[in-house]
Amino acid sequence: MTMTTALKPSRVPRGLFPVGILLAVMLPLILMPLASIYVFAARSGLEGFINAITSPEAQFALRFSLLIALLTAIINGGLGTYTAYVLSKYRFPGRDALNVIVNLPVAIPTVVVGTSLLLLWGPIGILGQFLVPLGISPMFAPAGVLLAHLFVTFPYMLGAVKPVLDELEVTYEEAAYTIGASQLEAFRFVILPALRGGLFSGALLTFAHSLGEFGATILVSGNLPFRTQTAPLYIFAQFEAGNIEAANAVAAVLATLSFVLFFALMQFNKKSARA
Amino acid sequence: MSIRLTDLTKRYNEQLVVNRVSLEIRDGELFVLLGGSGSGKSTVLRMIAGLTTPDAGKIELNGRDVTYLSPQARGVGFVFQNYSIFRHMTVLENVEFGLRIRKTKSNERRRRAEELLDLVGLAGLGARYPSQLSGGQQQRVALARALAYQPAVLLLDEPFGALDVKIRAQLRVSLKEIQRQLQVTTILVTHDQEEAFELADRIGVMDTGRLIEVGAPETLYYQPDTEFTATFIGGGNVLVGRKEDKWIRLGSVALPLPPEAAHTDNGAPIRILFRPERTILQSEPFQDRAIQVLGQGEVIEQIFAGAVQRIVLEMEGLRGVRAVAPRAVYGQSVTRIEVIQTGARAAENIFTLGQKVWVGLRDFHVLDPAGLKVLICVSQDASGQLAAEMGSLLAHATHGPATLLHVAARPELAAQARDYLETVRRAFAAQLPGLDVRVRVGTSAAQILLEAQEGHYEVIALGQSASGDTGFRGLGSTARQVLEQAEVPVLLTQTKRVSLKQILICTRGGEPGKTDVAFGGRVARRADAAATVLFVQTEQTTPEEQKRAARHLLQAEAALAVQGVRGKIKILDGGIIENIIRQADADDADLIVIGAQAPRGRPRLRWQNFATQLVGAAARPVLVVPMNE
Repeated sequence: MTMTTALKPSRVPRGLFPVGILLAVMLPLILMPLASIYVFAARSGLEGFINAITSPEAQFALRFSLLIALLTAIINGGLGTYTAYVLSKYRFPGRDALNVIVNLPVAIPTVVVGTSLLLLWGPIGILGQFLVPLGISPMFAPAGVLLAHLFVTFPYMLGAVKPVLDELEVTYEEAAYTIGASQLEAFRFVILPALRGGLFSGALLTFAHSLGEFGATILVSGNLPFRTQTAPLYIFAQFEAGNIEAANAVAAVLATLSFVLFFALMQFNKKSARA
Repeated sequence: MSIRLTDLTKRYNEQLVVNRVSLEIRDGELFVLLGGSGSGKSTVLRMIAGLTTPDAGKIELNGRDVTYLSPQARGVGFVFQNYSIFRHMTVLENVEFGLRIRKTKSNERRRRAEELLDLVGLAGLGARYPSQLSGGQQQRVALARALAYQPAVLLLDEPFGALDVKIRAQLRVSLKEIQRQLQVTTILVTHDQEEAFELADRIGVMDTGRLIEVGAPETLYYQPDTEFTATFIGGGNVLVGRKEDKWIRLGSVALPLPPEAAHTDNGAPIRILFRPERTILQSEPFQDRAIQVLGQGEVIEQIFAGAVQRIVLEMEGLRGVRAVAPRAVYGQSVTRIEVIQTGARAAENIFTLGQKVWVGLRDFHVLDPAGLKVLICVSQDASGQLAAEMGSLLAHATHGPATLLHVAARPELAAQARDYLETVRRAFAAQLPGLDVRVRVGTSAAQILLEAQEGHYEVIALGQSASGDTGFRGLGSTARQVLEQAEVPVLLTQTKRVSLKQILICTRGGEPGKTDVAFGGRVARRADAAATVLFVQTEQTTPEEQKRAARHLLQAEAALAVQGVRGKIKILDGGIIENIIRQADADDADLIVIGAQAPRGRPRLRWQNFATQLVGAAARPVLVVPMNE
């Protein structure tokens, strides 16, 4: 080590110029748009901001978004973990194909996801044409929003958990069996705790993506205020109607929430990397 | 008996990984399964633990049949090579895990775990996480964890494999101490001989799925039964001599045959083992009567290796004696032996290269005779009797172990078949005392082929009866299928012979022809029979092929001479079958050896027809040797 340190040039490049270029690019690309949300939110003053976010419609949209994100994280948390466990542990024909399929939602445009859901569950859809007359109609209803979010965010949980599972040797589980643990106990006491980190970051990612989901939601929800309107849809609708202040206040809240989630994730990853 | 395994068998994709392993392990014993990679030793351990399901056989732990029980229900402690301790639990939690699953009270749990940590030398480290421990310490945790719930048996799968030499030595000592103290019956799997010798009460040597030999370390080292053990464990000299009354003849040297050696006929090959460090070198002839003199040798290699000195000698007096070990170097003409001098001798007895020195043996050991392993397929009719007679003649002549096999069509016929085989066995008991008996259920050909593969047989013996006045009408369907698919030579007997003194080897020119010459020569060498190598040229034979055949025959003669077989060569013109029969009659051959070539992907149809014709026409036993391209 001392050798390499000695060979390193003693002069650390100051690099002011390249950093300057980077900032010049980042500023209009990322930083200024973000900042403008808060600038606009602040322009109408605190009172205006509070009024904007406490309007019943905005309140519903925010709460609905949080609820959907929470449900999505919980359901996909379980589903994704189970999928990862099966894909990682069992060998069966078609395993590779399934591996690709479960990761497909990342690659598909969200608008296409919305369309495909409508074509399945909608009034003229493959299943919908039989179910809708029976009164089962998830589209343009909260259930439809949840379905869309589950679809779109499915791979995030899987992506966070499966690498951890793949890395766990088979003998880890076998050790638990020989000690006397049933398959369930082995999963509960041995596998699951080893997955804690993956579960947490996967759930956070899923939650964050669900919170911001727009493309699929706009199609399947019908954008119905007080029924299926999520926060992003609310922002879109208010902008369309010219209520910049209302849109902007909710946008600021959403952006702040995302920041908080993002930093939580970063902190957690840093901590688990150190452990 | 703590652990009893009976005929444990496991296949992976048709590949036999564990082949009929039977073993009994005593209470409190530390047993080591020793073998190379792929020998099946770990699979045996995993089957005992219930992590792998056997295809056949039985596992009993403390008298309880656990063959199909889940791992949880067996109560074994298992230690993996990669430790596999739970990384999110502290050391103490790891050790307590088994007790927690068993709902032991927490204070009792804690007390027991502390006690075990103390035992494995980790007292005070209970609160640490695995990531804060070294590899050796992690494996100690794994050991404590496996012992915490007082398992019936402790199984260790290469537990020290991932550790460095120094830590490994420390852990070995600890393991031995702990095992002594707790008296827990233990099986340890390893490929490390040193480890096996240091730890084991008894060692089981495994190779290609079979348990070759079981014994105490000293017995396996100095008095192994098998050639495999003799050459696998430690370094050794294994020479093949011949029996001459009360002597073992090795070239110009004769060693006294120990009275306890297995009985063999005069002229039969006898393999002796002497360890390099049980030899003595000196410049003057030996005066001590207790030392067996091997004659004078020339020092051709001398290696100083610290505590010991390794010397390779060429033994002029042993010229022509086949050495199984050390393996002959290409181009070597004189038999070589390996000697190790230790202690004062290594320091004082320093020779120069090329120096002639006297070689003496403090002791040597005679290995069990290994002849051709013959599978005799017995049906309850005249052809079965023929197979039994010729098969046992072959086994007797080649000093090989043999098994009588009967395939029962239905399970309810098995008991009756066993009785029948028992009577056959008694009839041949005088000739073949070690004759084994086996009954399988199913289709004849398929079961014969399976048994041949599982039992590592070298020859399958089948009888073909000439039924009444119609005479021989061709091979039965079983014989045809066995001939088509067997990977080992098949002996077809239509007419019995009383001895095995003259062998006719029919060969083709070139590379494939070498297989049947080699096998025929092996039979002749073991049986001490004379051999004729015959090549028949027909009208279709080109001059090119004739030249090649002539060259091939000369090589065949030389190959037989090397094996110590009296042989001659012959080239005849005309029809193949007629000439083979003519020559067989002229020699009064007891056995005709032919090669059967399997063209890639196709059955040996043409050769099967040929074999059928020959068996029908020759009225002599025919040995069909499959040739691989």
